[in-house]
Amino acid sequence: MRLLLRIASRRATDAELGDIVEEYVERRHSAGWFVSQVVSILRRRRSPMTMPERGAEMISNVRHDIRYALRMLVRNPGFAVAAIAPIALGIGINTGVFSLLNSVAWRALPVPDGDELVSVYQETRGGPRRMVHGARSLFSIPEYHTYRDETHTLSDLMAYSRQWTVTLGRESPQEIGGILVTCNYFDVLRVSPAIGPGFTPGNCGPPDAPPVVVLSHALWQSAFGGDPQILHKPIALDGRTVTVVGVAPVGFDGVDMAREAFFAPTSMANVFRPEQKLLQDAHVSWLTLIGRRRHDADIAEARADLSLVAARIDSQQPGRTTSLIVQPAAALSLPPARRSVLWGAGIVMAAFGLVLLIAAVNVANILLARAAARTREIAIRLSVGATRGRLVQQLLTESGIIALAGAICGSLLFMWLFGALIPWLIAAIPGSEPVRIDTTPDRTVLWFALGLTAMTALVFGLVPALQASTADVHTAIKQDSTGSTGGRGWVRATLIGAQIALCTMLLIPAGLLVRALHAAHNLDPGFDYHDVAVVSISLRGPRYEKGGAENFHDTWLERVRALPGVERLSVASRIPLSPGRSQTTFRSGDDREGHVVDVNTVSPDFFSLLGIPIVRGRMFGDGEADAVLVTESTARRYWPDQDAVGRVVTMDGRPRQIVGIVRDAQVSQFDDVLSSYMYLAVKPGTQRSVRVLARTRGGLEAFAAAVRAETSRLDADLVVNVQPLSANVSLLQTLSRITAGIAGTLSLLALILASLGVYGVVAYVVSRRLREVGVRMALGADAHDVQGLILRQTLRPVVIGLVIGVAVAAAIVRLLQSVLFGVSPYDPVAFVGAPLLMLAMALAAAFVPTRRAMRVNPMAVLRSE
Amino acid sequence: MARREHLGEFEHIVLLAVLRLGDDAYGVPIRHEIERRTGRAPTVGALYRTLDRLEDKGFVSSAFSDPTPERGGRSKRYFKVKPLGLRTLRASHEALSAMWEGLEPLVQRGN
Repeated sequence: MRLLLRIASRRATDAELGDIVEEYVERRHSAGWFVSQVVSILRRRRSPMTMPERGAEMISNVRHDIRYALRMLVRNPGFAVAAIAPIALGIGINTGVFSLLNSVAWRALPVPDGDELVSVYQETRGGPRRMVHGARSLFSIPEYHTYRDETHTLSDLMAYSRQWTVTLGRESPQEIGGILVTCNYFDVLRVSPAIGPGFTPGNCGPPDAPPVVVLSHALWQSAFGGDPQILHKPIALDGRTVTVVGVAPVGFDGVDMAREAFFAPTSMANVFRPEQKLLQDAHVSWLTLIGRRRHDADIAEARADLSLVAARIDSQQPGRTTSLIVQPAAALSLPPARRSVLWGAGIVMAAFGLVLLIAAVNVANILLARAAARTREIAIRLSVGATRGRLVQQLLTESGIIALAGAICGSLLFMWLFGALIPWLIAAIPGSEPVRIDTTPDRTVLWFALGLTAMTALVFGLVPALQASTADVHTAIKQDSTGSTGGRGWVRATLIGAQIALCTMLLIPAGLLVRALHAAHNLDPGFDYHDVAVVSISLRGPRYEKGGAENFHDTWLERVRALPGVERLSVASRIPLSPGRSQTTFRSGDDREGHVVDVNTVSPDFFSLLGIPIVRGRMFGDGEADAVLVTESTARRYWPDQDAVGRVVTMDGRPRQIVGIVRDAQVSQFDDVLSSYMYLAVKPGTQRSVRVLARTRGGLEAFAAAVRAETSRLDADLVVNVQPLSANVSLLQTLSRITAGIAGTLSLLALILASLGVYGVVAYVVSRRLREVGVRMALGADAHDVQGLILRQTLRPVVIGLVIGVAVAAAIVRLLQSVLFGVSPYDPVAFVGAPLLMLAMALAAAFVPTRRAMRVNPMAVLRSE
Repeated sequence: MARREHLGEFEHIVLLAVLRLGDDAYGVPIRHEIERRTGRAPTVGALYRTLDRLEDKGFVSSAFSDPTPERGGRSKRYFKVKPLGLRTLRASHEALSAMWEGLEPLVQRGN
């Protein structure tokens, strides 16, 4: 009963409870009566406010809290900056990264009603063997027709094929990239050409229609000077005459990230690549599908509807199972690319999230210290009737304001910074094409930023608010304001430990990336890439069909070999360290299963040109088409403890003899020697395009000019690409520099934030324990002993945090393996160096305040008691 | 006061009880007075809810006494009917009487 009274006394007045007690005693009521009367009072306190009244009270509370919080911040500008700046940094970076990701992965396509568009991809298993042009998840023309004709949820469905590079013939020929599209491409996107009719049933549908093309606005401007008479003019693409039937509107350059220069009907596939039979084959992957949803169908219905069509296709092809990937159309939709970007962005955002977390913990520490200083204020408010919930609400409002202020400052800053930085970064990568990235914030970004802000505010606001509101009213009011609040030490220790752990988790991967950068600059790929030029010429068009390419190739090689300054020249189907690979399978002896092997078709000069020595056997001769060379690793893998030289392998149904073994080199990938790699000899008269390595004297520029002159003497319409082989190496170096730069900056930031956190907490603890220090020193303790004692105590959470951080880092570094060239993910330098650096910073941060404490005069401290 | 405050039935009863008790009108006697005359005892909570409302409307005023030991050291809250309360009571009574005029035989006890 006493307990009930005590509980009730928070909400009931003395007079009411007095009445109950008096009557209970006087009239000897039952306990049940007593309880029901107390409950009636409690109900009374709750009920007098109606819902609208309570809502109004809440709003007025919130308004009051906001005003109070703003006043606090304005009155303590130092605190405001210390709290807002790290949060601004953390939320800003995360929102910036997210807006990038959003712009490629989720934002609706920038066409009218872009949110109605869905992209369709497939994953097939079993069934007939598929040819792949681009990615396995693409469709064939017959498949496209089936989906288009049988869907009930899409009002229309179009298809297009990416990455068609053709030579635009002019006075100075150039290679341009575009896409092949179905005739309804512009209709489905609701984009109408700025000039001309675009594709019509007359010019696009019929199989015998003359070739047509729609140009991008940019190409029209750059290559044709914005010629107003461009319509119906013939232009030369790959040496063929094509009629311009339209110019796309300004700013429309396709729906992917790449900027397309032209749009041609899919039927042009037969014109550009007649040998590839793309149009008829039902089992070739080359088309992306994009459809427009009917207004009455949502994406789930579209998914179900299209899956039915897929099931029908499967039923006609025994053994085939198809699963469709139907998603809102975005700039980055191709499943494998999308997966890797989301995965990479996930890692990046996790890293930036850690920085935000460290920043939030810092603010939590500051708030905790402030809460300790405000114990009296809070105790007084509690004692005059503020409820705990009300106090927590007010303290959380303060946190919310801090987080919101940080979010606004940070998001604006980083949105602007990223907008400027990204094009610069992309331009810094050699050989990269300009891409379309629109980072203007939309609703998705806004929601993300708001959610992040709320979460951040909770992270750094909740613990201090709950801590503060549990203040023991009696002791707090009785004590003077310098009284200790030692009981809360464990919260701060946990926060410090968490901060150190988070920071270590960032520092170790960053250390690895910096080491990888170092390695990238000192990389020895096992071949000499200096002073080597890569020449590539695409031989396309009617002139190079039916043996034309082979003739050109032989003549061209002969003439270029005779150029001054050319020391060696070698044909190579795969240029070292260029992306992509050629694979086939081979059988050795009586193997049942074939082995997958990477192959490179080269001429004999390839090895002397790159300085790759033969370790056993002999070089194949020029045109010795049935001879192969294997690498040392390959020989070891397939013929361990045996002599590989002289063995016969079956490849593409033909026997070939291994005539020699060459030294391993990282020709396919950096930092990776493939253990299954063979060199085939070039067969004369089979080269469809020119891809040649040349070791030259006298500089790349002079060589390039000479090659261009020689080539144009043979055919003035060809585009000659000349690049130094070292460009492939510097690409890696640039990428390493960018990742290491970002990671380094990030972890430096984390280190500074964490050090500030340690400094703040130690300084606070020391200031609280000045009295103890004074007593100890007055009793004759040595200053160094006392300092050591404090350091040891405050650094315990640091060490625990370090251990946890190293353990977590060890678990996550494997994710980075693909970008760590030349460094083991468990590189000891990073794994020892980063924690040591962290420890040193924490020690320094803790040392400064303890030193100051040691200089206090013990008598002065004690006298202030 | 331009707007006439309406008096609910229970408010009416409580107001009359306070008036009747004079200087002794605090929680316990008020409840007893109501119980004695109407046969029903309001809960302490319900009583104070009404008293607070009457005070808000300006019909009664209240004052705290010194704490007394028999109530566990808690004070009593004494109520007094204010002039506005009296006027409202009178108005309420007159209105009711006017409405009742000649109707009493129709609502005989036991009907």
